[in-house]
Amino acid sequence: MNRERFTAWLRNIYETQAVEISCTECFDLISRFVELEISGRDVATKLPQVKQHLRNCRACREEYEALRDLIQLEELGDAPSLDDLQSSIR
Amino acid sequence: MRTNEEWLHDLRENGMAQGNAIADLQGILLRAVLYFFNRNLGDFRGLAREDILQLARDCAQEALISVLNHLPDFRGDSKFTTWAYKFAINTALIAVRHTRWKDVSLDQLFLSEDGAFSKWMIQNISSAVVQDKSVMQGEVCQVIQEVLERDLTDKQRRVLLLIVFNEVPMDEVVHQLQTNRNAIYKMLHVARHKLKSGLEARGFEIGETLALFSSQK
Repeated sequence: MNRERFTAWLRNIYETQAVEISCTECFDLISRFVELEISGRDVATKLPQVKQHLRNCRACREEYEALRDLIQLEELGDAPSLDDLQSSIR
Repeated sequence: MRTNEEWLHDLRENGMAQGNAIADLQGILLRAVLYFFNRNLGDFRGLAREDILQLARDCAQEALISVLNHLPDFRGDSKFTTWAYKFAINTALIAVRHTRWKDVSLDQLFLSEDGAFSKWMIQNISSAVVQDKSVMQGEVCQVIQEVLERDLTDKQRRVLLLIVFNEVPMDEVVHQLQTNRNAIYKMLHVARHKLKSGLEARGFEIGETLALFSSQK
């Protein structure tokens, strides 16, 4: 962990809530969260507990980022084809 | 392109419609798995192309089973395909991280040792900032050290050091400790809660503490 990550961790410590949603609850809400975010909605207001979980959980955050990026590419019509993805594995 | 209702209908139908829907879904899930693999190709260093593709097919198959098992949970608050992708990405992430970390024994990671946290702070955090803040930084580090040693259970401390300081992926800790993500997240949550209380009890408020570590000036 570098200093930047340490500072982010300190911030997360101070933002800790008495009750936080679990990884399962985050997983349950993540597809809705991603679509709301891509459509320009204020997800921090609509689903604040998911936003907070994603700040604290690297595993869920990585999944969220991949899902968000894939859906964004699809919305733009730029999603790679199955053939392209298979070819790029070397 | 199927609507959500058509996906559910076809997947629950018997016969050709179901077969076609499953084949389409399998392709969609494989694409999501490969998309994730492509973002993390560095984790497959040393693995042959065919082995990676086979792992992708295995992940897609596992994700397909998860999607079919969870069909009753789909509420329709997103596109069906978005909902299905998350199962593929979840399976892919676990596979990628496991491939990278499977030969690493968590017991050998240095920050699991007693007192290693202090040494780590001195080397990586305190030395990176200017001298006049070092006393207060030292006090913050001391509070963190005390909470780690006094207020956390051995398991909570170990999990915190592994995930936060050694940056071991959560799913690898889950795998090696034979538990689940929720249990690990809960341990980290409790640890954060105790650290927050400890810092605040000693008068370190958020703005002051962050300023101590975030500014170079």
